[in-house]
Amino acid sequence: MILVYDGTFEGFLSLVYEVYYKKLSPSKIYKNNPTQLILEELIYIETIQENSMKVYKALQTKFDTKSFSLLVNIFMCDTKEFELSLLRYIIIGFKDTKQLYNINYEEVFYLQNLEKELFRLVHKMYGFIRFQELEDGTLYAKIETKYNVLYFLGKHFFKRLNNQNFIIHDINRKLAFVKNNLNCSIENIASYEKPTLSKDEEKFDKLWKHFFKSVAIQERENKRCQQNFVPLLYRTYMNEFN
Amino acid sequence: MRKDIYEKMEILADSAKYDVSCSSSGSDNNHKTGQIGATHKSGICHTFTADGRCVSLLKVLLTNYCIYDCAYCINRKSNEIQRAAFSPRELADITINFYKRNYIEGLFLSSGIIDNEDHTMNLLLRTLKILRNEYKFNGYIHVKLIPGSDERLIEQVVALANRVSSNIELPSDNSLKLLAPNKTKEMVLQPLKLARDISLEKDTKPIGMSTQLIVGATPESDKDILKLSSTLYDKALLKRVYYSAYIPVNDDKNLPSIINKPPLLREHRLYQADWLLRFYQFSWDEIVNDFTPNLDEDLDPKSFWALNNLQYFPMEINKASLDELIRIPGIGIRGAHKILRTRRYKSLDFEDLIKLKISLKRAKYFITCKGKYQKEIPFYQENIKTALIQPEKKIVQPSLFDIDYSAITGEI
Repeated sequence: MILVYDGTFEGFLSLVYEVYYKKLSPSKIYKNNPTQLILEELIYIETIQENSMKVYKALQTKFDTKSFSLLVNIFMCDTKEFELSLLRYIIIGFKDTKQLYNINYEEVFYLQNLEKELFRLVHKMYGFIRFQELEDGTLYAKIETKYNVLYFLGKHFFKRLNNQNFIIHDINRKLAFVKNNLNCSIENIASYEKPTLSKDEEKFDKLWKHFFKSVAIQERENKRCQQNFVPLLYRTYMNEFN
Repeated sequence: MRKDIYEKMEILADSAKYDVSCSSSGSDNNHKTGQIGATHKSGICHTFTADGRCVSLLKVLLTNYCIYDCAYCINRKSNEIQRAAFSPRELADITINFYKRNYIEGLFLSSGIIDNEDHTMNLLLRTLKILRNEYKFNGYIHVKLIPGSDERLIEQVVALANRVSSNIELPSDNSLKLLAPNKTKEMVLQPLKLARDISLEKDTKPIGMSTQLIVGATPESDKDILKLSSTLYDKALLKRVYYSAYIPVNDDKNLPSIINKPPLLREHRLYQADWLLRFYQFSWDEIVNDFTPNLDEDLDPKSFWALNNLQYFPMEINKASLDELIRIPGIGIRGAHKILRTRRYKSLDFEDLIKLKISLKRAKYFITCKGKYQKEIPFYQENIKTALIQPEKKIVQPSLFDIDYSAITGEI
């Protein structure tokens, strides 16, 4: 049996509701309508606000904060097929919350590791994201990441660039985190124009590249080691590598 | 001739690069509304140089003019190199602008000695004050203390910086006398002791401090080095000791003349041993002693220790305590905790450890699971040692499909 839902968190909660009340046992869960031929039974799950809220409340009361935030965090790993594991995780939790930390369960171990992978990516991006200063002093950064880390980055930079305004633009997901004074929001970006940079931008860009070049010790050169730490994947918007 | 800012940056970054300390970790997370900058507990690496070292801080010298003539240092007075200096304002501006663009995590502030010690310290202090008070910069700042400068200046720096340090460079007084005639060990340690006392008076937690030792320029053994590090850690004087493989930058009759390559492996082994001291509750005399004053090149220090103390092994993975688990080669702090968490629910065997992604490459010779020991290698020192140094190569059986396709079709 294959379930199809709309890919949203609410949609997934509705799915959990259906699984419990209709006693379904899916073998796969898809975000979108599958394109190839499928011989198994296919069930579309409609997102029903009321059902989602019921499951949401149940999860909130039954699960502790750490396990609950895991559910939400896993949803940020949108390029992975985590749904089936997450469903089993929820079922394990409703039976006995203590088992949510038993890593002998394949699902628990998998999800814990996936969450770790997400946080590792977030941590890397804390360092590797690069801002550019625009004409009006706003800082602007572009990112392309495997998982959706916009919220984590926004939160992090809200703290450290507290007296600045900034925009973090996720190119692939067409989302942007916008901080304007003390207001924060995540917005959809349908299309955008190339922004004008401030006149100082070139100077500091050049200065940084000069610094980066001269701080390396030639006798110890080890490009492979460098690439292990900064895989090419991350270098798209890092100015010192361009 | 006036140098432009790019040239200055190159000269001063080049002069500072041999200082290996670049961590931004160890400060509590903090941020203040309306300010720029925050520190991050684990530290953040912002990029990695071509030699594979992390760039976390803007590491430059305020100036590379210096009145000292230390033999190992590239900035020694008698060297004919290009000299330059930033003004405190210039450096503060660069720091803030780099920080805004997320190039760096903070500033590593160091300097050659210009005119005299107090004057230099004053320049550093002025930079620090511009950043903290004027620009409201709340990020990480590491300041190199100038040995021999005034106590009151050091006190002010300690109040504003996140971490201070002073490099010992050479592990014994004799070597210092030979290579850095203007310095003594006491003199280098004096600002550190002072900084600790000052910060302890105000707070229960002393300010983070570090130092650096050069490895391979003088004849000290690893034993001398580790003993020194261990003492410094025990006295709660330092959070971190850095080791820097000696790279010949100057010709000097007192320095080893023929070195083709910096002793990078030795440096690596020292760091491994240092980790054992700080996180694995080893004492220095367990790692090195009079019979083996230097660390083994083929084996990491923990495996070496385990091989010479086989009476503690093999350890039963389901019974050993945390302290025992972390003594097993190949099992780290995280791995040990993973084992503890899992064995609450069931007793573990080798397959379970593999499933938990615990590396058994070395560990398998030192453990039993439910009383069982691996079968390939008998439990004797010599056998295990060979197995550790030369891991068995897997013999790949050639399959039918490995044959080059073109060989069959004849288009060679």
